[in-house]
Amino acid sequence: MPSPRDESGPDSRTFRQGITPDMGFAAASAAARRLKKLRRAGASSRASTRVAVLGSHTTSQLSAFLELFLFAGGIDGVIYEAPYGLMRHEILDPESELYRFAPQFVVLAGSRRDLSLPPPGARHQDVVHAADAVVTEWRTLGRIAHERSGCRVIQNNFEAPAWRTFGNLEMNHPGAIGEFVDRVNRGLRQDAPEWLTLHDLDGLAASVGRWQWGDERYFHLAKLPCAPEHLTIYAHSLAALISAHLGRSRKCLVLDLDNTLWGGVIGDDGMRGLSLGAGDPVGEAYVEFQRYVRALSERGVVLAVCSKNEESNAREPFERHPGMVLKLDDIACFVANWEDKATNLARIAETLNLGLDALVFVDDLPHERALVRSLLPDVAVPELPADPADYIRAIEQHRYFEVVSVTQEDLQRTAFYRSDMQRRFTGSSAADLDAFLQSLEMRASIGPIGPDELARATQLIGKSNQFNLTTRRHSATDVQRMAADPRWVTRVVALADRFGDQGLISVLLAEQRDDTLFIDTWLMSCRVLKRGVEQLLLNDVVAIARDRGICRIVGEYDPTSKNALVQDHYARLGFAPLDNGDHCATRWQLAVGAGWEPLSHHIGGSAR
Amino acid sequence: MSSLLEEVTGVIRELFEDDRIAVTESTSAPDVEGWDSLMHLNIIIAVEQRYRIRFSTAEIARLKEPGQNVGSLLAAIRAKTGASA
Repeated sequence: MPSPRDESGPDSRTFRQGITPDMGFAAASAAARRLKKLRRAGASSRASTRVAVLGSHTTSQLSAFLELFLFAGGIDGVIYEAPYGLMRHEILDPESELYRFAPQFVVLAGSRRDLSLPPPGARHQDVVHAADAVVTEWRTLGRIAHERSGCRVIQNNFEAPAWRTFGNLEMNHPGAIGEFVDRVNRGLRQDAPEWLTLHDLDGLAASVGRWQWGDERYFHLAKLPCAPEHLTIYAHSLAALISAHLGRSRKCLVLDLDNTLWGGVIGDDGMRGLSLGAGDPVGEAYVEFQRYVRALSERGVVLAVCSKNEESNAREPFERHPGMVLKLDDIACFVANWEDKATNLARIAETLNLGLDALVFVDDLPHERALVRSLLPDVAVPELPADPADYIRAIEQHRYFEVVSVTQEDLQRTAFYRSDMQRRFTGSSAADLDAFLQSLEMRASIGPIGPDELARATQLIGKSNQFNLTTRRHSATDVQRMAADPRWVTRVVALADRFGDQGLISVLLAEQRDDTLFIDTWLMSCRVLKRGVEQLLLNDVVAIARDRGICRIVGEYDPTSKNALVQDHYARLGFAPLDNGDHCATRWQLAVGAGWEPLSHHIGGSAR
Repeated sequence: MSSLLEEVTGVIRELFEDDRIAVTESTSAPDVEGWDSLMHLNIIIAVEQRYRIRFSTAEIARLKEPGQNVGSLLAAIRAKTGASA
């Protein structure tokens, strides 16, 4: 169901797909100008956000490029730029335009030129104090902005200059700028509050090369914070962080095989003909690429294979080739056949319960990339250079898989998906559904959202699309506040079964008003669909409601392009239609008096 | 119209996202709507990248002074590239 606000004509799609971080300064400037015209003409995206950019130097180009890269990622960014040089005023004055603008994100775009350096010859103790003073000042500015507007603060760390007046001792001597910048950056990371996200500007400068990053001419002429040609990746990096906070990072890397994971064509060249492994420089490049892919997988990116091959041929290197780093166990969904890749990608997305906009498709063949770009515009399809030694950079530069936190669940995700597939396989042989669910030996634990659950619960709130009744993206600060408020009921469910620990998979937030409990948020990971978790959770919530003397529970379904899955959620649980809420939402109610009987399921107590 | 002028016109049209913009050597910033100091800087940066040249700080500062026109920019490019056009 296309969202009515989505502007997805072929022209705008091509325009969107043409916005990449490696586009030059001139092309990005032109595109930013075109975007302003398009948006004045009414073009819009699926998501939107409000971002204030505050810096003590020129931020005009940076802001325009930020809007551009947000748009490329499907987000309409409304950008507010503080007047030049007024960053501190804007934050400190409660009546400033900044607060009237009501930002969701405030970007504190500082640079090393904002640092007041300790005097030459300062003693170690003075340097420590000077660094503490910098950290405290920026933390205070960020906290004020956060407390007054509820925004998330994204703050640059500081980039070391290219020159080193202390030479090789630069990082050891307390009087050196390099050491001072490093000390401040460490201070910023230490005990960073939840509302703060550090943007690694220093890492960006290092990846470009420090002499290339700074172009002193344009600082002297126009106070540009870095060389103009690198403003694109600077803005893109910020856009990727904001996207990640809005739950829009990609989740799955789909790989072609022949000439993508190894050199050669397995069906023609056979195992021995492949270029893969030590001794052959090109083969080593493929090994290095596979290591990169596996490292992504180990930190939570789901891997899939989409190849035009006989399935047995495609699997053979994974099972027997000594040069393979990736094993079949690393691949959550393996598709090898002769159908077109768009059909297969749609199947992969469906199998893994992911949206097409969660996929990145990597293929060495230009016509396959073109086909997928045109038929499935939501799938990200990076250009791939001819040389496999350049593959890592070609993918990495897009920052598809940006994360704001890495949870235990992320680190085990591929295993989750794989055991989920085994479970489906077992399911097909089970005599009936009840017997199957019984055979899973499921155990759950339910409780309020405490400090240990906050990160994962907020992550689920930020990214769950399908099993999500209202799709309200509460921040961790909001969730923390609800958890502390006696009027609110916050519940999380963790589930385990004989295949393993599923981790925290469901979140419910509800607010008591008089004798009614209003369910604000109810979501669940699609890994555990149709397992009885909803029934279990409702029983739990009803018990809490009765303890509080509540006589009815009201739930809401707010339709989006992705959550049709749960349109009958409340009806299935025995709720009766109440009325229509805002927009197209429907509201449902359940009387929880003496007549209500707990729902049956097959989940036992205590998952952990 | 010299070819260098045509090329620079192309750069300017791309930045303005407007194919109807016409410039001559005597065109200066106030003659074109939207040609502000930011756009001026963007043009200089785009020209540096297009011709793979590097103006000095002083040269860019001069190009930003009032009274400079497209002709001044072309002369600066010629001086760097050695082009006779």
